Amino acid sequence: MDSEYQDADSDMDCSDIDIVDDDYYNDNDDNDMDQIDPLIRDPEYFVYDCLTEEQVERLLNEKVEQLSNYLRITPSLAKVLLHGHKWSVSEIVNKYRENASALLINSKIKPTSVVHLQGTSSKYINCPVCTVSQQCDKFCSLLCGHKFCRDCWTSHFEVQINQGISTGISCMARDCEVLAHEDFVLKHLTQSEMREKYQQFTFQDYVKSHPELRFCPGPNCSCVIKSPEVKAKRSVCEYCKTTFCFKCGMDYHAPTDCQVIRKWLTKCADDSETANYISAHTKDCPKCHICIEKNGGCNHMQCYKCKHDFCWMCLGDWKSHGSEYYECSRYKDNPNIAHESVHVQVNVSAREALKKYLHYYERWENHSKSLKLEVETIDKLRKRINQKVMAGLGTWIDWQYLFAAANLLAKCRYTLQYTYPYAYFMETGSRKQLFEYQQAQLEAEIENLSWKIERAETTDRGDLENQMDIAEKRRTTLLKDFLDV
Amino acid sequence: MAALPRRIVKETQRLMQEPVPGISAVPDESNARYFHVIVTGPEDSPFEGGLFKLELFLPEDYPMSAPKVRFITRIYHPNIDRLGRICLDILKDKWSPALQIRTVLLSIQALLSAPNPDDPLANDVAELWKVNESEAIRNAKEWTRKYAMDN
Repeated sequence: MDSEYQDADSDMDCSDIDIVDDDYYNDNDDNDMDQIDPLIRDPEYFVYDCLTEEQVERLLNEKVEQLSNYLRITPSLAKVLLHGHKWSVSEIVNKYRENASALLINSKIKPTSVVHLQGTSSKYINCPVCTVSQQCDKFCSLLCGHKFCRDCWTSHFEVQINQGISTGISCMARDCEVLAHEDFVLKHLTQSEMREKYQQFTFQDYVKSHPELRFCPGPNCSCVIKSPEVKAKRSVCEYCKTTFCFKCGMDYHAPTDCQVIRKWLTKCADDSETANYISAHTKDCPKCHICIEKNGGCNHMQCYKCKHDFCWMCLGDWKSHGSEYYECSRYKDNPNIAHESVHVQVNVSAREALKKYLHYYERWENHSKSLKLEVETIDKLRKRINQKVMAGLGTWIDWQYLFAAANLLAKCRYTLQYTYPYAYFMETGSRKQLFEYQQAQLEAEIENLSWKIERAETTDRGDLENQMDIAEKRRTTLLKDFLDV
Repeated sequence: MAALPRRIVKETQRLMQEPVPGISAVPDESNARYFHVIVTGPEDSPFEGGLFKLELFLPEDYPMSAPKVRFITRIYHPNIDRLGRICLDILKDKWSPALQIRTVLLSIQALLSAPNPDDPLANDVAELWKVNESEAIRNAKEWTRKYAMDN
């Protein structure tokens, strides 16, 4: 985008950072191989920078300066335009050339119709908000011409800022949408803490409106990640090490995409408790399959819907029970024939759906828990290595590969965990079969790796490194085939 | 308590001297920011003939923030819920400090004439208003008779 703009106006220099990005992504005539290669090797390859607040401010200010120089407008108005146009200077300039007035109206800088100045001859004006009459010079207006006294502007801005509104503050007049730009607001803010708050909020709005920038979601981290590609790829904050998906800001979730993972997490948040309860405390009526919760001690159940009498323990017909009640507590190879008939039913009952969900959820949860346990594994590894070194079995450096293995294990397990939501929402078919095949392969290799790491003393280093390689290959193969970003 | 801002004093005076037809708003004896409001149901609406009581409160930062308004009389309307809360844009994001008590109350009266079931607050009412308008209007009339008359 910027490069087009540069062609049109060679006197406008893009920032260094922009040039680097533009060259990287837009010039496809030379060194093509270098760019495509990493993606083939690594489907998760992603280029990004981790910027500090000052660096981001500099970057934004460069754009502001470009635009304000070009259109000969104040930086304050340039910010309104950029904020409303995803910080694309070229888009604004194109629109400006097409129809400058429409651009300014749509960006809420100019009003659709200017208010005619009322009674300018009088030296005193009545403020429509506080109803106090004051001298003309105590009044201000935006380009719409709606005049209000300065005190009222000040309190208007303070109230808005306290509600967290900054770039979206508009004129006080009824139905007037003209936005109060930065200079105008700052001119009226008398308290320094209000000014600070305002500037902090506008900065947040600017970053959020910039398609290439993302705040690091880490707690109390003020870093901003910048990438020219808005893709669901892994970005890691250099400062707080938080890992997140660049596109949606949630925990990184390959191979699942942003929408699906959101659906999954919402489902888990909504359903898990209910699902667990249903699974633990209810059974389906063997005859009509309605869901029944046992609310008394007696195992002789009567379905409230179809009035079928059955045994809660074995789900068999109560009639055949009679005196042989305790029959059903004995272990049998195939204990509930009644259960079988439920499965034969073609209609997918609610319980089937629940079973499916729990299948995926349990695996998702299990890998998530395993991942947390890997932290302990690393601790144990450290102790074990210490013992080895003390016992003269190799040096500290010799044993470092175990840490590499543990880190790789965590990485693989993480991807494996996120394959379950993907599979849950997949439609049945050959693609799902392939996916689940690869998932099973990955799972098997991960368990092998995990086993080998925990027993590293008995396996040699070559074997372990081989296993690492296999696991990582399985992981990248799965991602290459199914990561679609 | 801080002195009453000039703006509120003036608005109150004007409401008393030139009342809006069909609307009465009287400040409470002990709190000049709290108004007892009565809106008459507009003609040719299912609320015709009803007298609807509302309460209106001017918050500390009025007029920079919108007044808080609530129906006290029960009313069958898609944009007013069981607690009398009103879904009206000028009471929320479309508030402008240039709006006044009288303009707000006029907008509420207009809302009674023109319910907007596409932007509902009371979902069941809005649903019926959309699928079976005549029945919804019958209910509204019924409620008006039951709750908003002879009180």
